[in-house]
Amino acid sequence: MKEKTKAILLSLGLLVVFVVIGELITGTGERGGDNLTEYQLLMGMGEKQAHVPGPIEVFKLGFKEMSHPFYDNGPNDKGIGTQLFYSIARVLAGFSLALLFALPLGFLIGMSPLFYKALQPYIQILKPVSPLAWMPLALFVIKDSIMSSIFVIFICSIWPMLINTAFGVMSVKKDWLNVGKTLEMGNFKTAFKVILPAALPTIFTGMRISMGISWLVIVAAEMLVGGTGIGYYVWNEWNNLDLTSVVFSIVMIGLVGMFLDTIIAYFSKFFVYQE
Amino acid sequence: MKEFLVVKDLEKRFPINDGKSELTVFKNINFTVNKGEFVSIIGHSGCGKSTVLNSLAGLDFPTEGEINMLDKPVIGPSLDRGVIFQNHSLLPWLSAFKNITMAIDCKFKDMPKEDVEKRAIHFLDMVGLKDSMDKKPSELSGGMKQRVGIARAFSIAPSLLLMDEPFGALDALTRGKLQDQLVEICDKTQQTTFMITHDIDEAILLSDKILLMSNGPEARVAKQIIVDIPKPRSRASIVKHPAYYEIRNYLVEFLVEGSEVIKQQLINGEITDKNFPIEVNPYKKK
Repeated sequence: MKEKTKAILLSLGLLVVFVVIGELITGTGERGGDNLTEYQLLMGMGEKQAHVPGPIEVFKLGFKEMSHPFYDNGPNDKGIGTQLFYSIARVLAGFSLALLFALPLGFLIGMSPLFYKALQPYIQILKPVSPLAWMPLALFVIKDSIMSSIFVIFICSIWPMLINTAFGVMSVKKDWLNVGKTLEMGNFKTAFKVILPAALPTIFTGMRISMGISWLVIVAAEMLVGGTGIGYYVWNEWNNLDLTSVVFSIVMIGLVGMFLDTIIAYFSKFFVYQE
Repeated sequence: MKEFLVVKDLEKRFPINDGKSELTVFKNINFTVNKGEFVSIIGHSGCGKSTVLNSLAGLDFPTEGEINMLDKPVIGPSLDRGVIFQNHSLLPWLSAFKNITMAIDCKFKDMPKEDVEKRAIHFLDMVGLKDSMDKKPSELSGGMKQRVGIARAFSIAPSLLLMDEPFGALDALTRGKLQDQLVEICDKTQQTTFMITHDIDEAILLSDKILLMSNGPEARVAKQIIVDIPKPRSRASIVKHPAYYEIRNYLVEFLVEGSEVIKQQLINGEITDKNFPIEVNPYKKK
């Protein structure tokens, strides 16, 4: 048997183990009675005691949600697909904006020791600030919750891309730059024909880190600003005491995060080179 | 014959001890290279051979002295001077073919794409790598990479070819093959070449003239050895020529103790910098 097949079988085996353990330790909550009015159900009287849902319960809900992922029954009840779509759109907007700034700035820092030294303190101070700390300021200045959450994504995803671009540009081998010099390439040509391709793998690593952080941060940001998005959805379901939906969201957030990472990893394959 | 390349009073100093004093790596370096000539330079590590070559390439700058090529001062890198680096220096994200077309594009800016490709294939064929043209450098062996580097340097038809220990990183068998190939190419193209090497046999096989550097610091190009063996040469036949061992012994002797002798003679005032480089033809001496 091949290593890959073995790994898949082991993964599936572990899944079964997790499901069984999950079912055993979560139990099923006592029902409060059968003939409850909608009001009583809303008040949480359907169950005598709230409980952490087991895997099968989550799977059932997931199946139901995924068969109508984009429904819209007003501000408080939108399909999981719609919510994820909002979050992904915000992440992509903030991430792209950050990329637009990080690339040229990273090139500048990487190519000029002067700018590297001058900007280093700012980067070191701003980088460790939790992006959510920017939220109140963003809300006040931008006066729009959606744009503010995009700004928060921008501010958290710019650093890894900026630092990786600068590092990639700085560590271009001197031999390759000498090749450019002996071929009488100008600065512009050297930047595009030598430095950029040499730095691209490092830049892509920065993009992957940034995308990962963005996806972490968007959930928290949307919990704060509310309205739409998967973060809002999770918090809303907590307020509804619908833990099954919360667990289902966790799974979905994980899957989407993996998907976003896979996309960048896929594209980076075309630019990675071996020395 | 008009001198093609003239190196005059070259000197390189580096600041040491945080700039408090200076180390003179080499000084009073004088030599010339004629058109079509193959000149090698041999010396122990640290004597500044690479700095001399990089200065010729325009990648490094001497502290004193000047370099003139066809009466024009060398002040920076130029497409007129092709460089074959010790570690091939191919761009790893480009195929062998693209590495060469990029160079040709830089030199012949108005050449149509088809001609650029034809030219690239011609030079890949010259080093016997036509079949591997689409491979990335990482997929090529060390010898193949160096051959692509050679093809790249020749493809831009430089007036002067500079080689920094081109085969230093290769195993002996591969090195031998490439040396034969290089002899053939140089005979065919009459390429003016300046080469750094550590390999005495390689220097004799390829060169018209071998420059010997004394040990650093304050290294000099002390001697200029004339290789009086008719061309075309080959590795197999050259060892049978009577001049071969005369030259070889002379070189070995210089590398073992010659450098110290030179230093002593300088101190004793038996010779001065004006004598350098002393021209020697070990074969004729007898």
